[in-house]
Amino acid sequence: MTLAERLTTGLNITILGMGLVFVLLVLLWALLTVMLRLDRPPAREAGEGIAPAQPAARKPVKLPPELLSAIAVAVFTHQAVLRKQAAPSMRSHWPGSILFASRWVAGGRHQQTQNWHPRGR
Amino acid sequence: MSDYLTTLRELREKALKGGGPKRIEQQHERGKLTARERLALLLDEGSFQEFGALATHNITDFGMADQRYPGDGIVTGLGKINGRRVAVFAQDFTVMGGSFSEVQSHKICRIQDLALESGIPLIGLNDSGGARIQEGVRSLAAYGEVFQRNVLASGVVPQISVMLGPCAGGAVYSPALTDFVIMARDTSFMFLTGPEVIKAVTGEDVNVANLGGPLIHNCRSGVAHFLAANEHAAISMAKLLLSYLPQNNTEDPPQVAPYDPADRMEESLNSVVPANENEPYDMHLVIDAIFDRDSFLEVHSCYAPNAVVGFARLDGQAVGIVANQPAHMSGALDIDASDKISRFIRICDAYSIPLITFVDCPGFLPGVDQEYHGVIRHGAKIIYAYTEATVPKISIVTRKAMGGSYVAMSSKQMRNDLAYAWPTAQIAVMGAEGAVRILFRQELSKAEDPAAMERKYIQEYREMFFNPFRAADLGQIDEVIEPRETRPRLIRALEVLRTKVQQNPTKKHGLMPV
Repeated sequence: MTLAERLTTGLNITILGMGLVFVLLVLLWALLTVMLRLDRPPAREAGEGIAPAQPAARKPVKLPPELLSAIAVAVFTHQAVLRKQAAPSMRSHWPGSILFASRWVAGGRHQQTQNWHPRGR
Repeated sequence: MSDYLTTLRELREKALKGGGPKRIEQQHERGKLTARERLALLLDEGSFQEFGALATHNITDFGMADQRYPGDGIVTGLGKINGRRVAVFAQDFTVMGGSFSEVQSHKICRIQDLALESGIPLIGLNDSGGARIQEGVRSLAAYGEVFQRNVLASGVVPQISVMLGPCAGGAVYSPALTDFVIMARDTSFMFLTGPEVIKAVTGEDVNVANLGGPLIHNCRSGVAHFLAANEHAAISMAKLLLSYLPQNNTEDPPQVAPYDPADRMEESLNSVVPANENEPYDMHLVIDAIFDRDSFLEVHSCYAPNAVVGFARLDGQAVGIVANQPAHMSGALDIDASDKISRFIRICDAYSIPLITFVDCPGFLPGVDQEYHGVIRHGAKIIYAYTEATVPKISIVTRKAMGGSYVAMSSKQMRNDLAYAWPTAQIAVMGAEGAVRILFRQELSKAEDPAAMERKYIQEYREMFFNPFRAADLGQIDEVIEPRETRPRLIRALEVLRTKVQQNPTKKHGLMPV
């Protein structure tokens, strides 16, 4: 086989191989495009779903001003009682919380109270 | 199995009925609630776990074999108040008048032990006719067991006694050994010996209300700390009081989310002290203006009104307040005020609650009666309590701080951490008139116009001592502040002192001049 024939054969093989790869890539691209098209949700009509849902019209509740005042006073009084009693909703720290106690204080209090030895321990 | 369950359910049902519908009705007619109704008011809904509901006595004398009630006249257990674990007992007056038996003692001791070991407060709702006579010495020994545990738990876990009925004889010592006693008006009373015994022994004629009623113990004897309008108010008071106390002596009281600005300056404070030094003012106005709004809970409000003690919150943190009350006896310290102050200081120290002291005191109350009854010893209690206390201590001299009272009321030498004074403060050994008469006796006796000379010396004395600047110059006052600045100053100071730890010398116990 002459040099020219060898070069021709090599060129053919290269063209065939690369062509095959590019053809396969094109086919893959086409397949993906089709799949995307099939997977896309149907287009909505113009304006559909854009307008916010209108809240149901509420009927105005007519309470006597005295009752409203009494409710307000009751709410504030309840809140004041909760605060005074340090109810859970009013606390910033749970009593005895580890987050609150520093090691310095915990160690110091332990030393202050270490002279207590319950019987039998 | 179903038989056992049926028996158990029947016994439980019987225990819930206490002394029976008739006795419950009688209890309601007296305006009183049953033990279980009281516990339902006190505790968070559904939080109560009862112990010993089926316990009964084993006495057969005096027809006792026929009088067995599951629970034996007391309801004990654990529960929660605003989410905090507590141990509780409630005496049931519908069962044999709530008489104190050996079984009652066992049940109370059981939860006392649990409270002490778990580090949780103990609240007792008392309503008992006294020791169960049929049990003889058993019931007396039973009292002793409870007292012993009251003492061991003292200063370790908060103990609160709510008096909702009679409490007579030896039974009174258990509430007296607890930290706080709350009495319901009209329904509660406490005494060691009743009116009849007193009449027989001393010939004194007195009724129950005047002997051991809530007003007497709140205003006269100081045995009780709080007076409540009725049972509901008494139970609410217990819940409120608990909010200022920790679970035990190693923890801190609950901290409320701040709701009052920390930098709030109250202009009214700059004019609260009258220009005339002999004119009184109400220390409550000062306290209300400085601490978180509506947070002041006065302790012993009726007893020794020349002193004010109580709990409040400062930027959401619980603090103890000790103050003289210039509106009553010019704020002079007497025997009762000394007792009140020293006890409160020790409570705050035991439970790690910082102390804020407001001083406006012309001195200890002079008088033969006071001296005879030991004002020296009682006054010394204040010094002892302040010095012994290791919690953060801050003082503010608002006006007079004279002589021994200046030293006693949280001065620097009482291991005070910070001493503030308002510009109106007068810090001296004694009042100007008395001092001039002693210092210039000879000059005044020889003077042509003694009155004019006395006025001149008094003026000089006032200029020299009747201000806080001399004390600040000598380092006895850390800072002279504008009255309106007091709140932010205190908040900043406590922020720093929050982690204060101080040790006392190791000892078995001190010898407080009790």
